[in-house]
Amino acid sequence: MSTNYEEEVRNLVSEIIEIPAEKLTYEEDFIDDLNVDSLKAIEIVAAFEKKYRIVIPEEDIPKIRSLGKIIEYTKTMQKD
Amino acid sequence: MKWNKEKIKSVLPHRDPFLFIDEVSEIEGSQKVVAVKNVKNSESYFTGHFPGNPVMPGVLIIEAMAQSAIVLYTLAKPDIAETRPSYYLGKVKSEFLSPVYPGDRLVIETRSVKIISDAGIVDSVAKVGDTVVAKANLVFGIRKQ
Repeated sequence: MSTNYEEEVRNLVSEIIEIPAEKLTYEEDFIDDLNVDSLKAIEIVAAFEKKYRIVIPEEDIPKIRSLGKIIEYTKTMQKD
Repeated sequence: MKWNKEKIKSVLPHRDPFLFIDEVSEIEGSQKVVAVKNVKNSESYFTGHFPGNPVMPGVLIIEAMAQSAIVLYTLAKPDIAETRPSYYLGKVKSEFLSPVYPGDRLVIETRSVKIISDAGIVDSVAKVGDTVVAKANLVFGIRKQ
């Protein structure tokens, strides 16, 4: 996967949580640092599922609470 | 008919005049429900919307869709639904394509996009006969009591 993929993920998240892409860091926690609530969280999950044709099980959602983690997680999902 | 009004009232907290589904006519697991609202001449909102020209308000079509989404949620998460949580609507993207009049049978097909314990997203299409009258994507939340 290339940096393009990371940019794509960044833009997708940015659009949903309404924070400019350039201001998103890999480490910031969506919930604690970026005020992402459960509705925005499910929108992020659903957007990833649709765009990359994957299914993210509910129990995995707490593991992908930052841009870095979601990039890592979705890369793994797509390799499967 | 799969669910009658009594069964619907056992899962929805809404009551008349704010209960906007009369029956659930189809259920496909926890992926899809079809709900029906028989739009009566006597609906209270027709008095004002509009005098002499009754048209069902679009927001009430959205409300009927949202209520069908709760039915879908109860099928997906029966254990949580049983605790009678609060349901709240978070975000709606909608299109209204054709007016709904007294006497119409409004048929609402609602499909799960994603449903988890504390939130859900559905796509809903409302039809009268073969005519699509409204489409919407709804994001809703669930707060345990």
